[in-house]
Amino acid sequence: MRDEEVRSMYFKYFQEEQLPFIQCGKCGHKFFYPRVVCPKCGSSDIKIGLSEGLGKIFAMTRIYKKDGSYVVYGIVEMNEGFRMYANIVEENGNTADIGKKVKVIFREINGKKYPLFAVT
Amino acid sequence: MIVGFSGKLYKKYEKDGIELLKEAIDEALEMAGLTYSDIDGIMANIGRGSFHGNKTYLNPPAQIGEYFGIKPKIIDHVQYGGPSVLAMIYRAYKAISAGDADTILCVQGGKISHIRDSNQFQKTDIIDSPFDDFIKVYDQMSPISDYAMVAYRHSKLFGTTDEQRALVAVMQRYNAINNQKAMFRDPITVKDVLASRIVSYPLHLLEIVYPIDGFHVFVVSKRTSKSALRNIDILAYGEAHWPNPPAEWDDIIYTPTIESAKRASFNLNRVDAFELYDSFTITVMLQMEDIGLVEKGKVGHFVESHDLTYKGDVPINTGGGSLNTGQPAYMSGGVILEEALLQLNNMANGHQVSDANVIFLNGIGWWSRRHTVTLVLGEKK
Repeated sequence: MRDEEVRSMYFKYFQEEQLPFIQCGKCGHKFFYPRVVCPKCGSSDIKIGLSEGLGKIFAMTRIYKKDGSYVVYGIVEMNEGFRMYANIVEENGNTADIGKKVKVIFREINGKKYPLFAVT
Repeated sequence: MIVGFSGKLYKKYEKDGIELLKEAIDEALEMAGLTYSDIDGIMANIGRGSFHGNKTYLNPPAQIGEYFGIKPKIIDHVQYGGPSVLAMIYRAYKAISAGDADTILCVQGGKISHIRDSNQFQKTDIIDSPFDDFIKVYDQMSPISDYAMVAYRHSKLFGTTDEQRALVAVMQRYNAINNQKAMFRDPITVKDVLASRIVSYPLHLLEIVYPIDGFHVFVVSKRTSKSALRNIDILAYGEAHWPNPPAEWDDIIYTPTIESAKRASFNLNRVDAFELYDSFTITVMLQMEDIGLVEKGKVGHFVESHDLTYKGDVPINTGGGSLNTGQPAYMSGGVILEEALLQLNNMANGHQVSDANVIFLNGIGWWSRRHTVTLVLGEKK
């Protein structure tokens, strides 16, 4: 697979509200950021999988704006074992914190859908 | 072999960046007793948009040479953020020892106040990571949010408190009170730090550096006879790079300093003062753990039970660090290196550590702590 193909497949999945990840066919390592080589063993035997979209918050911060409102930005660890950065949304009174469970949701950013996470 | 140095820091420099650089080079050469024609090597790391208007030089050492009429035997563009200038010193020593050059200019900084004040970077094709499209789309404010995440995770795992982080800012401010180059010199308390607004939870405004215009220039030369400085040597050196996105690291509470410090392998009992990269309070604390001064997770208690001022038992950032001088072109490496040289040459008026013979420096670079350099300076005896 070419690098550009992997990257466009990611965006295609995002539009379909699916969260892709990559599993190495040689060492089994799972990772999110799209590459055509495994960052652990260097193998080009890579396979795109789809996450169930469930995970937990590994790290986070609340970024305050001048008007006192804030956004939550963090690192989530998905049940499949890979980690990624994203904004985290607090809905229905659920408050984000390290260790709290999240599920993937999709929101439009600059005209394209991207994965965000909602506290469950 | 460091025969001259200079740091020129301005909240906002009115002329062009290249003129600011000339001020710094002139002062460093004067201290060294050398002239432009003596320079036969240039190493540089320059902030984006630093020279004329918003222009970024593609190859700063070559273009600095072009502008000042220097024809070097060697040039090197060392660019991995803040600690790059510490790496330049090592590379310059190696090059001079190998006979590749006699006098090397090491430069770091830039004029960035126009970028700071506009709150946005100039749009260019330069990318920070192959994954920018998947990371920078989100609402964030790296590097502040990046370090804030580390600070919060550190608190969650080890119980490190806001008050403990604030103590770092308070003790560094004490060190800055008599430093003529510090922009912030009024004493502060833990209460003041905690009362300042939270920018990215849990980091408060007084825990974060303020970006300024500034250049640091260090002249490394085998021609030491005209310089009044001590003959400083590199006692230990190590660098480490973890270029993967930190989200993919085993844990974000560690930095590559664990490896760079191990490579330097220096007995900390021999150290008279530490100059540790201080982009944020948590940055200093992470390094205190990762260089081996204190066990991982226990730095909170350590800062409560030790005096980190220049008069204290563990002097750290003896001039107040970049938290108080401001951070030139988003990179603090020159600030800690200049302070190390002031200490070693008994030139740190009002913040001098008595009998300072060995200074341990550690730098961390790029918005997500991917690059570290450990450098120990002193006279070889």
